[in-house]
Amino acid sequence: MTHIDPRRLPQILYIDRNDETRALVRRLLSHKYIILEATDPLDGLQLAEETHPNLILVDNNLPHITGSEATTRLRKMLPKTPIVIISADLAPGSRERALAAGAIGFIAKPIDADFEDQMDAYLNGKIEVLEDAEKHLLIYQQELVERLEGNTRQLTATVDKNKHLLQQNERMFSMLERRHKLLETAARVGQVVTSILDLDELLKYTVNIIRDEFELYYSGIFLVSDDEQWAILRAGYGEAGKKMMAQNYRLRVDEKSMIGNSILSQHARIALDAVGEESRFKNPFLPDTRSEMALPLVVKRRALGALTVQSKHLNAFTEEDITSLQAMADQVAVAINNAQLMLKLEDATSELVRTKTFEAIATATGEAIHWVGNKAAPIPGSVKRVREDLTYIFAIAAQFAPREANPQNEALIAAAQIIKEEAQEKGLDLEKALKEMSAMKLNQLRALVSVESLLEDLDIASNSAETILSIKEGLIGPARQRTDASVSLREMITDTVANMGLPEGVVEMEWADDLPNAFVDARQVEQVFNNLIKNGWEAMLNVTPDPKIYVHGRRDDNFVLVTIKDNGPGIPKNIQEKIWVSFFTTKGGSGGTGLGLSSVMQIVDQHGGSISLESEEGAGAMFSVRLPAAKQVES
Amino acid sequence: MTTVLLVDDERLILRSLEKTLLRAGFDVITASDCKSGSATFAQNASAVNIAVLDLNMPGFEGIPKTGAGLDLLGDLKKQSPALPVIILTAYDEVNKAKEAVSGGANAFFVKGREQGLVELIQKILQG
Repeated sequence: MTHIDPRRLPQILYIDRNDETRALVRRLLSHKYIILEATDPLDGLQLAEETHPNLILVDNNLPHITGSEATTRLRKMLPKTPIVIISADLAPGSRERALAAGAIGFIAKPIDADFEDQMDAYLNGKIEVLEDAEKHLLIYQQELVERLEGNTRQLTATVDKNKHLLQQNERMFSMLERRHKLLETAARVGQVVTSILDLDELLKYTVNIIRDEFELYYSGIFLVSDDEQWAILRAGYGEAGKKMMAQNYRLRVDEKSMIGNSILSQHARIALDAVGEESRFKNPFLPDTRSEMALPLVVKRRALGALTVQSKHLNAFTEEDITSLQAMADQVAVAINNAQLMLKLEDATSELVRTKTFEAIATATGEAIHWVGNKAAPIPGSVKRVREDLTYIFAIAAQFAPREANPQNEALIAAAQIIKEEAQEKGLDLEKALKEMSAMKLNQLRALVSVESLLEDLDIASNSAETILSIKEGLIGPARQRTDASVSLREMITDTVANMGLPEGVVEMEWADDLPNAFVDARQVEQVFNNLIKNGWEAMLNVTPDPKIYVHGRRDDNFVLVTIKDNGPGIPKNIQEKIWVSFFTTKGGSGGTGLGLSSVMQIVDQHGGSISLESEEGAGAMFSVRLPAAKQVES
Repeated sequence: MTTVLLVDDERLILRSLEKTLLRAGFDVITASDCKSGSATFAQNASAVNIAVLDLNMPGFEGIPKTGAGLDLLGDLKKQSPALPVIILTAYDEVNKAKEAVSGGANAFFVKGREQGLVELIQKILQG
């Protein structure tokens, strides 16, 4: 067996896109030739350059360029290398064209049994001769030219198309860029704007930022009047804006102006050529406007007003801009609505506070008036009785007429006369009184001229007045001046509780060992604790099954802290504010003068202490009272 | 002789009202809280023609109580259903007034001019 050195086997480069044909050729030739394959003429060209094959077999049906063209190029590249074209094209002239292109051989498909022999022959130098070579060459060249021209045309068309696409892309890109910038700016504006709750600040800020960010000539905001007939300029950029607002610049809400129109229709209005635009109101303050847009500010289908943006350039705004800017205008509308709602809320709140304050004052005043009226009630009655009694007494006194006047009784006689005369002047009917008395029984008489009764009535009147005055002084008068002293709150409160006469076991007290004395006015502070404990008790009476009042006292820094806690019904939150204002609790009786919590608070405050309440409905109430501790005396 | 049972815990008011009523020709029996008011009435039931009760005073438990007068009202009405009763008060308490009337009181009087009470008593006893 001859050993064949593969390195010395001839190489055939075979360019064919068809897998089956390549497989066939491989099968037929690979026992004696090395087959290099390429499916693409361009790859083929490269491969040919690299490997310098002994022969190149080119299929005519190739992608990108024809087999003939490939052949021509290969020929140029490797002039000495034989090229054979294999083709399925049996039309006349195809063999000639192949040869004209530079092939030295032409094999027709389908590949048959001769193939190996033919290939052998070509490798051994067989060259097929082309008759009428010139003619065919010419035809081939022409074909080539036509094809080239065709290619060129195609390429030019493609380039043109690409140029056009490129332009389109650029336009779209710049449009997107612009829209992006608009949206970005709009979003930024919207974000900041919704956080400003003060209406004036919001409007001013909005016009400024819109004008700056979009580099406009002017921007302004109109808000509709309450009757919705007018759009009033509430903010405007720069000098023009200032001047217009100073003039209360306003436009009617109708079709005549862009602003009015946009509000009515709740649609943006745009004027690209402001000079010619019909529905634009020529504004002397803004002479440079060439294009303009009005964006309605709408919240929940209600137009609050409109935003105007104006540019010095023609056609500064496009329809697309409306979308971006309207989104921003919508956010501005929400912000304005919120700011307006905030104002309404503040009004309502202060209205509510005012009402509540008046209510509280009215309650307090009412109670105060009733209390005074109650205390004063006995006075007129008592005074009337005194007046009546005096008539009778004067009647008797006026009767003093001794049988003879002497130096001792001269004065008395004169006095009796004075009484008689003045009584008459004052309209007291002494005669009538005497007559009545004459007709009376002793008992009745006794009642009429009772000195005791008369003095008692004066007492009643006096005491009633005193009570009223002492309350007044206790609250606002000189008695407010305190006589502070070191007082043991423990002793004071223990006494107070004992005097209140509460059932046993209701009050439980606990005092810290190091409880300091308090430096206070004992009388006033006694009333404080009396009041607090009594309140607690009265709230629980007949309501709480096992009523308890816990009194704890301990030191708290420089204060004495006393807490009074009950397990009663507690005080609902909505009443907790009122209790401090209510003036009086009860009218009197055995518990003291009933100062009420407002006085309690005043007393504690004036001592430099504090009082607070913790309570929840159904969970009892705890008052915490802090009073200044007395300085410990070093003994 | 018309006899009035007068119950009020404020000494000055009680005494002054008593004297006004006396001078107006009434006979007056007094008490200063619910317990003694009830007992006093029980002792003089046949004589008393009308009762005038303060609203706020020590109640049957012996401790000051708001609305104690209404308790006494109930008690007296139990003892003598036909007894006319006036409730006295320092404050214009509308809901207490309603309670008083539904509890059997004939009238609710806000303390002010004492003469007004005299006229009210006369009106009730006549009517």
